[in-house]
Amino acid sequence: MKRVLEGSQAVAEAVRLAKVQVVSAYPITPQTHIVEYISEYCATGKMEAKFLRVESEHSAMAVLIGAATAGVRTFTSTSSQGLALMHELLHWAAGARLPVVMAEVNRALAPAWNVWTDQTDSLSQRDTGWIQLYCEDSQEVLDTTLQAFRIAESVNLPVMVVLDAFYLSHTYESVDIPDQEEVDQFLPSFHPKFQMDAKNPCAFNQLAPPGVYMEMRYNMHSAMEQTLNYFGKVEDEFNRVLGRRYGAVEAVQCEDAEIIFITSGTVTSTCRYVIEKLRKQEEKVGLLKIKMFRPFPVDAIRRLISSVKKAAVIDRNFSFGASGIFAQEVRASLCNIPQHPVVFGYVVGLGGRDITPEVLEDIYWHTKKNEIPEQENQWIGLREVDHEIESC
Amino acid sequence: MKSGSIGVDETRLPVYIARSRKSTESNKTGSWRIMCPQYEEKTSPCSATCPAGEDIARIQMLMTRGSFKEAWETILMENPFPSICGRVCYHPCEAVCNRLEFDEPVAIHTIERFLGDWAHHYKFKPPFERRELRTEKIAIVGSGPSGLSAAYFLSWLGYTCDVFEEKPEPGGVLKWGIPSYRLPTTVLEREIRLIKDMGVTIRCGLGVSLSFLEELKGRYDALFFGCGHGRMRQLDIPGEEQAVDGLTFLCDVKNGNPHELDGTIAILGGGNTAIDVARCVIRLGGKPLIVYRRRKQDMPAFNEEVKMALEEGIELWEFFSPAKIERNKESYLLTLQKMEMTGLDELGNAVVEPDPGKARRITVQMVVKAIDADAVESWQKPPRNGGNVIHLSNCVMSIEPSGLAQVFGGDLVAEIKSVVHALASGKHAAIALDLLFKKGRDAIAAGFQKCAVGKGPPFSMKAYLNEEEGLRSPSIVKFESINTDYFKISPRIIQPRLLREERIRSFSEIDLKISAGLSINESKRCFNCGICNQCDNCYIFCPEIAVVRDASSKERHIDYDYCKGCGICVVECPRNAMVLKEEQS
Repeated sequence: MKRVLEGSQAVAEAVRLAKVQVVSAYPITPQTHIVEYISEYCATGKMEAKFLRVESEHSAMAVLIGAATAGVRTFTSTSSQGLALMHELLHWAAGARLPVVMAEVNRALAPAWNVWTDQTDSLSQRDTGWIQLYCEDSQEVLDTTLQAFRIAESVNLPVMVVLDAFYLSHTYESVDIPDQEEVDQFLPSFHPKFQMDAKNPCAFNQLAPPGVYMEMRYNMHSAMEQTLNYFGKVEDEFNRVLGRRYGAVEAVQCEDAEIIFITSGTVTSTCRYVIEKLRKQEEKVGLLKIKMFRPFPVDAIRRLISSVKKAAVIDRNFSFGASGIFAQEVRASLCNIPQHPVVFGYVVGLGGRDITPEVLEDIYWHTKKNEIPEQENQWIGLREVDHEIESC
Repeated sequence: MKSGSIGVDETRLPVYIARSRKSTESNKTGSWRIMCPQYEEKTSPCSATCPAGEDIARIQMLMTRGSFKEAWETILMENPFPSICGRVCYHPCEAVCNRLEFDEPVAIHTIERFLGDWAHHYKFKPPFERRELRTEKIAIVGSGPSGLSAAYFLSWLGYTCDVFEEKPEPGGVLKWGIPSYRLPTTVLEREIRLIKDMGVTIRCGLGVSLSFLEELKGRYDALFFGCGHGRMRQLDIPGEEQAVDGLTFLCDVKNGNPHELDGTIAILGGGNTAIDVARCVIRLGGKPLIVYRRRKQDMPAFNEEVKMALEEGIELWEFFSPAKIERNKESYLLTLQKMEMTGLDELGNAVVEPDPGKARRITVQMVVKAIDADAVESWQKPPRNGGNVIHLSNCVMSIEPSGLAQVFGGDLVAEIKSVVHALASGKHAAIALDLLFKKGRDAIAAGFQKCAVGKGPPFSMKAYLNEEEGLRSPSIVKFESINTDYFKISPRIIQPRLLREERIRSFSEIDLKISAGLSINESKRCFNCGICNQCDNCYIFCPEIAVVRDASSKERHIDYDYCKGCGICVVECPRNAMVLKEEQS
């Protein structure tokens, strides 16, 4: 059934349909609507989950670690500072191989206080062992959330479904909400591979000496690698039941392209419009949307763009002292193949600044004009500022 | 196709985590311990200071729970007269209350009075059974507080007691000395009734003469002398015989036979009797004038009594000593010698000498002599020394070659002459006699040591009867040992009193009743120094969950298999009922 709803509600609908058993969260803008919807569902009986209120995001994740260890389906949601506060337990959830699912609404980190979209919060958690899936629109948010449970429970790694603040979380769009029967067909109830059992007690995650720790880490890496292959199969099944698929990466008009944009999140939609426009001007331009950031789909990227001349990576994030984080990852993916495209890294739209079609067109012409990047990271649209402390 | 199957054998996806079924029992956290917390109840400063050794901290704790009966019974273990002491005791306990350093001391006497009155209202009886009947019989001379206390405790211990009282009614100083605005007669009567109900015989109007004493010695196994100081000492001034004896004056007032007063009444002395006389005088229409040879702060009367007297408008002349009393028609001419201060004695009291040539003469309606009192008969005085004399706290025991024991108590012995000291004296006499009859005289010292509150005195009947579950540490809780983070500043209850104008018109009781609710609130201010009130801080804060609450009783214990000895429980105990000791290897 199609309904016009907020991206936040799309998440909540997916959580309801997934029959999550334990939810724990702490409110933070712009995530708040998600947990508000879910708490309402729990209060009115639309969901049968146990909703646990806690005093911090750190505790929210701790609650879910306990619940998931006990063998139930779990969900939380947060943003920015909240995610940063969870950091320690993000490692724990992954290392303990617990299939926790989280909706992460990208918001800039403070200071200065900024509630608008920016990917640095989720990307700075890239080494925690969480699978990360970035979404472009509300339909994708709903579908990806459903898929996240299936993936997490199969490979025993937690999954972060990432959506842009406001552009997605607070924007109303038409979303096809699947029937419960369809979802049940795609997502069976959770059967944990291991769980806490009072009748057969054991210690979980106790001291692991050097003789076993490294194997445990390699085992997590193997699970990540399997996820790349496994994700395709999950999408096949999702497509069979619900008729939609997205891909870990999506190539748009890349076959004959000389220059391609590489994007993630909502800027992809803007970029689709821009390449249509440029194609009409007979520019050989394409687009590669990266949905899956962890595991990073290195093989797919190599296969899809090795023949293009230049790649313009759009980063709404930044790793200080280095460059945009997607650009880093793309460069790293390509460096060991001969005659790979030249990678131009563009930093745009931090702290929720608008990325208009004009901005992307400028980036295209800039990329076309230069044989090699003038600098490793090109900041777009910077205003002249005098170096006064007070700005607002 | 099976629902949800997507052609991957999900069960083969590897999961390699740290999981163990090995027991950790071999390395219990208790083995790490080098310091060992223990529950150790300590002595509260109030209990150690109360001459009767009442378990005040526990009484307050029971009070906060509304366990009025249990609280009253706890008093009765040590003191038969809560209603009386709640009114007339000078409550030295409050002067040492640890709360004093925090805000204000707990109004312990107010709660004691409440409990005594409450128990009377609901007609409660003493909780204990009399011990097995003993063959020894004890004669008690005098039915004042010490004699009644001795009768109460001895009777409880199984002895047959006969009290001999010279006056027509029992009570001694409580009956004839303390005016009814401080202690209504009904209150006294009902607490005496409680002692009579225990089987004590009080034979009034039967004074003990020397010959009768000899007879008693033949009929009884022990004698207790609690006949008090009934005769004023001599002033040795001309015309002294024209002064009225203070104790006689108070006794007359109690008998409803007051002197007709309208002029100035000079009261000579600075003790409690002088104050009581002065306050009676003002109620009878006279103008009291207390004449004292030293300063106000040197008066032996209890401070609060002096303060109340001055509030009521009683005049005090300091640095005057009586020199001569002369009859002048219907009145008296009193000559007073001016005194001057020459220094301070070791207690900080003024040392005075007459200031030659300075005298003052006043005309008064009556002169009342209220100076130091002494025993009426010389045989009532305790023996000083000798192989057969044992000096105990607030009493002296002598054992005759025949085996007859004589114990001298109350004001005959006491350094501080107060009701509560007299009560303590009776209790100590009872303990001493019980030890003597059961174990012999050599067992007396050790027996007292066993029941000391703190390092003693005072001594506890409850401890003597070994009814306390574990002996309390004699160490006295200091204010620094209280974790004041757990207490809020809260003002002491204000005792409602008759207005001054109402007070001086009648002998009605000045201190008015306080409700149960307010009394409970006051008891909640108590730190409960040194005793566990099951606040459960230890249980809540223990990081190892090694504090175990026993289902059976109110107690807690520590599971030393898991206690790491971190000491958090000891630090978080608000009231110093725990101790951290070095682990014994």
